[in-house]
Amino acid sequence: MASAQSSADGPARTSLPSQTRRTLLKGFAAAGAAVSISSKIAWADGEIGYWAKDLPNEKLIDMYSTILRIRWFDRTLADKQLSDRSFRNLIHLYCGQEAVAAGVCAALNNKGPFEEIDVIFGTHRPTGHAIAKGVDMKKLAAEYNFKATGLNRGYAGEMHLADKSVGYIGADGIVGPAAVIASGAAFAFRARGSKQVAVVFGGDGTYATPAFHSSMNNAALLKLPFVYVVENNLYHQFAHYSYSSPQKDIAVAANTYRVPGWVVDGQDVTQVYNKMKDAVDRARAGEGPTLIEAKTYRYYAHWGAPGAEVGKLGSFGYDPQAITSWRPERELRDWLQRDPVDIARNTLISWGVIDQAKASAIDAAVKQEVKEAFEWEAQQPLCKPEDALKNVFVEGTVAARQFG
Amino acid sequence: MASKSTMYAMYEAVQHEMRQRKDMTWIFELTPAVASNPGTPVINLEKEFGRTRVTNTGIDEMWMAGATLGAGLVGTTAVTYIPYQGSQIPFEIIQNHAGKLRYMSGGDSTMPVVFIIEISGQAAGFGGQHSDYEADSYFAHIPGVKVVIPSRPYDAKGMMASAIRDPNPVVYLFPQGLRQLSEEVPDEQFTVPLDKAAVRTTGNDLTIVGSGAGMTMVLEATDQLQKVGMKVEAIDLRSLKPIDTETLVKSVQKTKRLLTFDQSYYTLCPGAEVIARVAENVDGARYKRIAFPDAPPPASPEMFNWMRPNASHIVAAARKVVG
Repeated sequence: MASAQSSADGPARTSLPSQTRRTLLKGFAAAGAAVSISSKIAWADGEIGYWAKDLPNEKLIDMYSTILRIRWFDRTLADKQLSDRSFRNLIHLYCGQEAVAAGVCAALNNKGPFEEIDVIFGTHRPTGHAIAKGVDMKKLAAEYNFKATGLNRGYAGEMHLADKSVGYIGADGIVGPAAVIASGAAFAFRARGSKQVAVVFGGDGTYATPAFHSSMNNAALLKLPFVYVVENNLYHQFAHYSYSSPQKDIAVAANTYRVPGWVVDGQDVTQVYNKMKDAVDRARAGEGPTLIEAKTYRYYAHWGAPGAEVGKLGSFGYDPQAITSWRPERELRDWLQRDPVDIARNTLISWGVIDQAKASAIDAAVKQEVKEAFEWEAQQPLCKPEDALKNVFVEGTVAARQFG
Repeated sequence: MASKSTMYAMYEAVQHEMRQRKDMTWIFELTPAVASNPGTPVINLEKEFGRTRVTNTGIDEMWMAGATLGAGLVGTTAVTYIPYQGSQIPFEIIQNHAGKLRYMSGGDSTMPVVFIIEISGQAAGFGGQHSDYEADSYFAHIPGVKVVIPSRPYDAKGMMASAIRDPNPVVYLFPQGLRQLSEEVPDEQFTVPLDKAAVRTTGNDLTIVGSGAGMTMVLEATDQLQKVGMKVEAIDLRSLKPIDTETLVKSVQKTKRLLTFDQSYYTLCPGAEVIARVAENVDGARYKRIAFPDAPPPASPEMFNWMRPNASHIVAAARKVVG
């Protein structure tokens, strides 16, 4: 059984899914009793670092709601792209990965003055990161449809979302640079003696970029309050990650920098939270960076919703852009069996936090909230063309040059 | 001879050269080494030449460009296709290494390499990082690297053949919006020079100079202007390094009016260089340039489409210059 304790020199730790883990723990406890080893010790071993169990009910329910918010927001985006031409959008859907963003952000400070909260740097699969950090879904929906009242007033679209007020420094359309930039935020936190933590989310594809090495190396050398969360959903763009990583577990790369690298079940929000809390505690204590690899999966294609159907979760059909390598349909069906929504719900029910009726009520409330966000979006004004010349610098506007 | 898309025509040139050169390599990332076209055989470089020569990498454009340069330095003809999603990441390799190694080695180094740099600039909605069209200005500034930009399938094929055969490093800018543009292109290999502009229409009233994806708009506007009696000489630069000064000067000596059209940012856009060169050589001419404002492209279609230079901007500006 892997311990949750970190070791700078040790190999990457593998966490088991919580259900399996609890079953095993029960088994260990029973075995312990049988050979007269204190069952308390056996339990304690398994419980070390299981921080999610200590959380108040409201916090656990909030984590579950976050997962649902992301899920229904993204499913609405997928359905709208397939059926509603009035909603113009580019989408890189996060469905399947919700527990990663929800678990990571639950371990961070998200509310308060900008100078005090933790910050995240996301990817251009952004809804999970944005919603989990606390971005308003109404403004988010409006930004997706390029409205003047959207989160970034129509300048961002999907791939460049940002919301300083909740510490969401932003999405990044390019793969790689966010990691080095995030390590710079951590550098500033250390320099000003702040207890803030900087987190970067990167896909498995980021492992192959020079930014991976640069950010990890410098964060390790300077003991920066930095957490690199690799969301390994098995595919970068259209290629399997075996094209870009010789490691099966990208987390083992942390050994090179003599910092902890942990593999975590990205489908189980409690497991993600546990490891993230350890990483954040390390960062705040001045012990330096941590690499967390969340094993996860995206239910849709790299971008858009090719092969998907309205009202149906996941993209099973043909994606014309995926020529070199593409996932087998069985792989997707397999991952759907370990859905982050189901795992979170079952965990909360088995812990007695909620019952089935309450779970359904939460689901209905979230669906309504998402529906209202998109209804609000539909009423919002379009951008004024001339505003395109603003915001290049803090002051003034630039000249129109398109007319000659 | 068949109607072929820009993408297909370019791949046809590559396939031909790879068959001739048994060690030639191709590195790609997002854009599969595959091209298909109605009525012609599918080109699949990966299948035909194997994964040792045709390699799908991670999202690591620095390596793609660096490895291509390294292969060239040891005598292998090498090409890489850098998609627009990371097109400026290899800048250091191209600007500070490929562009200077021949010179710094006193003529010792040879780099028979082609960096295909995809540029976007076509679509509203993508926002700041995925719809820019600025790379033409950046690369054209570098000494020691030839920079070409096709505007149609015929040139895409002929210029790719020339670029591969050229012993110098070549940046081959590929406007993503032209992928599907089709025209008749010969099946056999042919070359188009890397240093000559093309005069697309001849006329005495006004010279309009553009390049790459902008040529679609230039030709559309030219067509409209010709219909109302303005005789336009439309010139496609094709090469940004070197720039074919002679063709430009000759044209403006005749028309005495020059309008440049770029999708690149206004400051230091290719048109700025064109106007400077012509102004140094032609007396008494009038000038105007159209370009993208000095602002990143916004995501909102309302803002982006207003901002992006188009054919009607050319028509209006042409009337001002000629009128």
